[in-house]
Amino acid sequence: MRVRSIGRWCAAVACAIAAPLALAHHAVVAKFDETKRTELEGIVTGVDWRNPHVHVFTNVSRENGEIENWAVELESTVLLKRSGWEHDTLRPGDAIRVSGPTARDGSRQVWGETVVATATNRQVYNVTDEGPVRPRSPRPTPRGPDGKPLLGMADETGGYWAYPSSTVLMQAGANVQMNRDGVLARLADAPRVAPFQPWALGLYRHRQERHLADDPGFLNCKNPGAVRQFQTPYGVQFVEDHARKRIFVLIGGGNRNYRIIYMDGRELKGQVRGDDDNPLYYGRAVGEWEGDTLVVRTTGFNEDFWFTNGGLPHTDRLSLVERFSRPDYDTLRYEVTIDDPGAYTQPWSSSWELRWVGGEELPVYFCQDNRS
Amino acid sequence: MKRLITTVAAALALGFLAPSGAQEGHPLKGSWLGEWQGNTVHGENVLLVLDWDGKAITGMINPGTDNMPLTRATLEPDGWVVRFEAEGKDKDGSAVRYVVEGKIENLELPNRSIVGTWSSNKGRGTFTASRQ
Repeated sequence: MRVRSIGRWCAAVACAIAAPLALAHHAVVAKFDETKRTELEGIVTGVDWRNPHVHVFTNVSRENGEIENWAVELESTVLLKRSGWEHDTLRPGDAIRVSGPTARDGSRQVWGETVVATATNRQVYNVTDEGPVRPRSPRPTPRGPDGKPLLGMADETGGYWAYPSSTVLMQAGANVQMNRDGVLARLADAPRVAPFQPWALGLYRHRQERHLADDPGFLNCKNPGAVRQFQTPYGVQFVEDHARKRIFVLIGGGNRNYRIIYMDGRELKGQVRGDDDNPLYYGRAVGEWEGDTLVVRTTGFNEDFWFTNGGLPHTDRLSLVERFSRPDYDTLRYEVTIDDPGAYTQPWSSSWELRWVGGEELPVYFCQDNRS
Repeated sequence: MKRLITTVAAALALGFLAPSGAQEGHPLKGSWLGEWQGNTVHGENVLLVLDWDGKAITGMINPGTDNMPLTRATLEPDGWVVRFEAEGKDKDGSAVRYVVEGKIENLELPNRSIVGTWSSNKGRGTFTASRQ
């Protein structure tokens, strides 16, 4: 067997045993260092097929005869299954070849950027799913009994919105390069992402410098409140209760909780003897139709979570105006204006689209599995 | 002996406090508990309650007992340097003007700290406080 490393490989192999998987749920760059990459070949000893991340344990024989156990970390079971992989795609005893970035803490862990079954030379456990195929010609927007577009299911076959066209937030026109988790390609671009107040820019930079390792959405399963719920990999589902004049927005990942948009014309304030003075993860939301666009106004957010991937700060003065439209059956257009005079110097906007995943229910992905 | 009792009391108080609540907004917002060592006028234990209204940091030192409002407070994100000014009275009613200068440490943690110094027209010493 052969081990070939790039970068500071010696620091990693100096560890006698594989370190515990301390940072179980995380942005990839929070745990793995792109500048410290490795390639290794070994024999699979086990596959831990569970969320938040699948692990393939591999024995790697070194030239001096020593055997090292490496943990190859992969995406969640949900994302791997979407790409056609199963828990037994690899079995103990299979030979594999792996390449990817190694753990920042020097332990024998590698992010499985590519995993190849040596016997067949076939790449496995890679995420190839690109979402549902769009119809050649757009299907008409489904409409409810009031003639307004349905944002949720048009029938009992199920369905939800996922595959956002953007998983990061920046002000319209910024065109700043960042990865899917919101990590900037160049830290110097930070001021262009949003119209920050000085402290908010400083905190955003700090989070970026730490590779988003402090994201409470990962560390503590805090809710993906505000706009983040529309940029998660596990989607959202709208359940429209026309009789009771409210819309439930169910979250595919996280804690399986929900947000309520009240459609009964009530004022935008908390409930008496309820949450009247208690800021919330999803805030308080009221909606109304403007033509075929649902306009939702939300205030009353707490400061206990990150409202975006990438770590943009917010305060309890955050208010949102979100505009939802469904130009055709398979497309949800999301436009948001962010007004937080506690963190930003002026309101700013962004927009993206989500795709309809028909005939399926929301995937089961519990953030609490992070603790297991 | 008095110092020992004070130290034990402070340790017990900190020990019984609940873990810090998450606070991902303005880094100074919240309640801070700590010590300004050598303060013979208002005691060595200090409680800071700070808020951010989008334009200014406001707050009070030892609310409920000494009730010293901050007259000026600044945060410089470059290095996370903080400076507070407050004014109180000693037991004779004479003005005591405080200046606290320090840095935020462990910015990313809910129980981040302010570490620095305090000074007044009555004395000076080290200042430490952790967000509760």
